[in-house]
Amino acid sequence: MKFKDYYKILQVSETADLKQIKKAYRKLALKFHPDTTSEADTEDKFKEVAEAYEVLKDTTKRAEYDELRRYGGSSSEGFDVPPGWQSSARHNKSEGDGHADFSDFFNSFFADRAQNNQRPQHHGSDLFKGQDLEMELPVFLEETLSSKTKAIDYHVPVYANNQIKQVQKSLKVKIPLGVSDGERIRLKGQGAPGSENKLNGDLYLLIRLVPHTLFDVQGINLILCLPLTPWEAALGTKLEIPTLNGKVKLSIPANSQSGQKLRVKGKGLKNKTSQGDLLAVIKIDIPPSTNIETKRLWSELAEAEQYNPRAEWS
Amino acid sequence: MVDITRYIPIDELCENSSIKIEVILEIVEYGIATPQSGLTLSEWVFDLESAHWIKKAIKLNREFLLDWVAISIVIDLMKEKEKLKQENDRLTSRLSRLL
Repeated sequence: MKFKDYYKILQVSETADLKQIKKAYRKLALKFHPDTTSEADTEDKFKEVAEAYEVLKDTTKRAEYDELRRYGGSSSEGFDVPPGWQSSARHNKSEGDGHADFSDFFNSFFADRAQNNQRPQHHGSDLFKGQDLEMELPVFLEETLSSKTKAIDYHVPVYANNQIKQVQKSLKVKIPLGVSDGERIRLKGQGAPGSENKLNGDLYLLIRLVPHTLFDVQGINLILCLPLTPWEAALGTKLEIPTLNGKVKLSIPANSQSGQKLRVKGKGLKNKTSQGDLLAVIKIDIPPSTNIETKRLWSELAEAEQYNPRAEWS
Repeated sequence: MVDITRYIPIDELCENSSIKIEVILEIVEYGIATPQSGLTLSEWVFDLESAHWIKKAIKLNREFLLDWVAISIVIDLMKEKEKLKQENDRLTSRLSRLL
């Protein structure tokens, strides 16, 4: 087992008081916590810092640690339990509280009295509840319109023989009708297994709606960009537009404007109680090239029509 | 086929995440999460969004040593950031179709 120099990890002196230790921990937690840094691979650093703080913040544990450090902390060889060593932590082995994220060094000397009763994962010989897991589940917009069964594969960390192995698991899950982006679904007991009679963790599926090639989502409404030629917008027309479940006919009124929204009722997404609408947003599309005849007709139109869209500028 | 749920009762939330019931009460008092239903504390049921923020709050308290007032502010900002990011992604996608 490798000795951990907690003072060095927290970058404090051996004589640092609790206030200095807390300050150093906060600074390093901000620097290395995966939620606050964009740098990769800082998680192990953060765990090391958290482990050091867990020991040095506690007067009794710190005193025991200092004793261990005097015994063999400077050795570059492996660190062994001092002869006759019995920490107060080890008297209460049956109330064990090992920590999966911390080192063997921590779990050998300090784990049993770790005061953090909010930490669910334990290992070693102790009983522990299985870890909750979370994974993203991509769902197509079409799949939200009815209850769909989806097969999911994921990895579960399983603790055996002092090692954590990743075991693949497959499930079939009925995704409820009307799920929305960012919504979570809980699969009770499908997380990491607990030890002996302890509960398994849960699996949380975070729904991620897959971006659609045609539709954007706004609440339970769908937005479709509807390109029209200038003459279709001016004269009005009838055309077919796509929806998530087939095509529907839509009348375009004469003198339609760019940005104008045409509502197709009941063709949006569903939630528990209702169904949204499809909003077709008009985009007037000018032909990319013109031939002589078209140019002549545009010129004729320009002369006949006195409309000035920039009138309010003057 | 696996059964799914969209809610979690307070006793299961406490047991699953090794959270004390008093801590949840405090989190609710600071407005970080709101129970979906239940008249008394032992009957409280949370939606999974609230359960997520409760776990996040506990992580902030444990790993950054923040007090509940600070956590409440941080979580409000995180929620706001998430909302704005979603809105920004949505509008960027719409704009790209219109241009």
